[in-house]
Amino acid sequence: MRKPPTSTALLRYHTALLLRSQRWLPPVLVYAALVAVGAQPGDPVLDSLGYTSAALLPVAAWLTRISATQEPPAARHVTASAAGPGRAHLAALLTASGCAAALGTAGSALVVAMSGWWNTSHEVRIAPLPMVLAALLAVAVCVLLGTAVGALCTWPLLRSPGWSVSLTALLALLAIVTTGSPARETVWALITGSRTGTTPVLLLPLAGAALLAVAAGATVCGVCSRRG
Amino acid sequence: MRLTKVGRRYAPGGPWVLRGVDLDVPAGALLRISGANGSGKSTLLRLLAGIDAPSEGRIHGRPRTAYVPERFPSALPFTAIGYLTHLGRVHGLRGPVADARARAWLERFGADGHAGTQLRELSKGTSQKVAVAQALLAEPELLILDEAWTGLDTAARAELDLAVGELTSTGATAVYVDHDPRRLAGAVDAAYRVDGAALVPDTATSSEPAPQVTVLARGRAGVSLPGGLPEGTHAELDAAGSARLTVPAAHSDTLLRTLLHADPPWHIRAVREPGRAVEGPQPSSAAQELTS
Repeated sequence: MRKPPTSTALLRYHTALLLRSQRWLPPVLVYAALVAVGAQPGDPVLDSLGYTSAALLPVAAWLTRISATQEPPAARHVTASAAGPGRAHLAALLTASGCAAALGTAGSALVVAMSGWWNTSHEVRIAPLPMVLAALLAVAVCVLLGTAVGALCTWPLLRSPGWSVSLTALLALLAIVTTGSPARETVWALITGSRTGTTPVLLLPLAGAALLAVAAGATVCGVCSRRG
Repeated sequence: MRLTKVGRRYAPGGPWVLRGVDLDVPAGALLRISGANGSGKSTLLRLLAGIDAPSEGRIHGRPRTAYVPERFPSALPFTAIGYLTHLGRVHGLRGPVADARARAWLERFGADGHAGTQLRELSKGTSQKVAVAQALLAEPELLILDEAWTGLDTAARAELDLAVGELTSTGATAVYVDHDPRRLAGAVDAAYRVDGAALVPDTATSSEPAPQVTVLARGRAGVSLPGGLPEGTHAELDAAGSARLTVPAAHSDTLLRTLLHADPPWHIRAVREPGRAVEGPQPSSAAQELTS
């Protein structure tokens, strides 16, 4: 029996494209370098988690840029005709965010394993369960925002590679430092929590990041059948 | 599928590439689109393929669609069979079915030896065969071919002609652009030309002589020819049961299949292409495929 064009087939295709292309290597190496430099064994765990999740945001944006542009135009047309342009592009974005989430989870797991489960002044013990929850929330927020930034700063909205790279870098930086940005709030809560010894489990930034990611995804997927 | 007052421009306020296009795309039809270079033929095909959305107007009733681009890129990190299996799944097939169909189509186009070759190592012609196989393995209801013949060798071009004929004979629609005005001539149901930004009926192509294939067949004396012969078949049948049938080349497979599957089946004595005659026990490639 024939099934309708399945999203899993598209995800599988885009994931295979991304993993086989080896274009994932530079962002993964950059993330590994940032984690290695910023999180030392024995450092306060919440500090290190805040730092590594902030590092994840530009990496997620970079992976999104790669995934959204890895098909040459003719191949993209073939896929778009078979599955619909919006759906095909969405699969590319979801592939990138899935890979970034896997990378961020692995990085955070490493940080949790090697850091000291204490606050900055080494007086308050950090409980493991809220810590793991806070780490996963921070990964989710930074992946969602990073994907949104990457999606907005590449095809179909921006086609010039130069502008695309500069704007991705700028917006990723702004997403980390601007007050009110879900990523900034999450990272800040981890760092201040590290001082006081209270682990922040914040759902509001996650909701905000999800909303922004859905809005960005809907915009770019809606536009891609209008941009050739 | 139907296009109503469809227009397309690439920037708001920019020039219209296409405007006011009304087009009926009936099921089972073969449509040819012509026009000068840069006239918007490819834009129209991309609209028909669902890759582009019209800037104004509407497209109703999109069937399952497959698209063959003019030049297929080889910059994808897959083997030929790997890419085709992925695309088959995207088209809604299960993996093993996609794999089997991909191999069958590569074999038909004489590229089965390259199934395991990386796309980037393929020649232009073989890459194009992969692009064609990708669309045909999906058994689409609407096939869009943008100069898909370009880069194919002669045998593969003929094979693609046949495949398009087979597809339309099963009720699917095909729309194509090709620089060769004789391409599929005679099998075309309607021809259009992009003129300025408008789409107008094209009367020039219908006067082109269509390449014909003549089939000599023998049935039982007194048995009439089977029903369901392809459109455009010219048949002469004598009282002894010998028939001489002439069809546009694109429909020759359909004719042979109809004759061989008739009850009682007809015996194919010869298949003749213009400029090439193959007699008796050595059937043409088309007949070989049917009988093997």
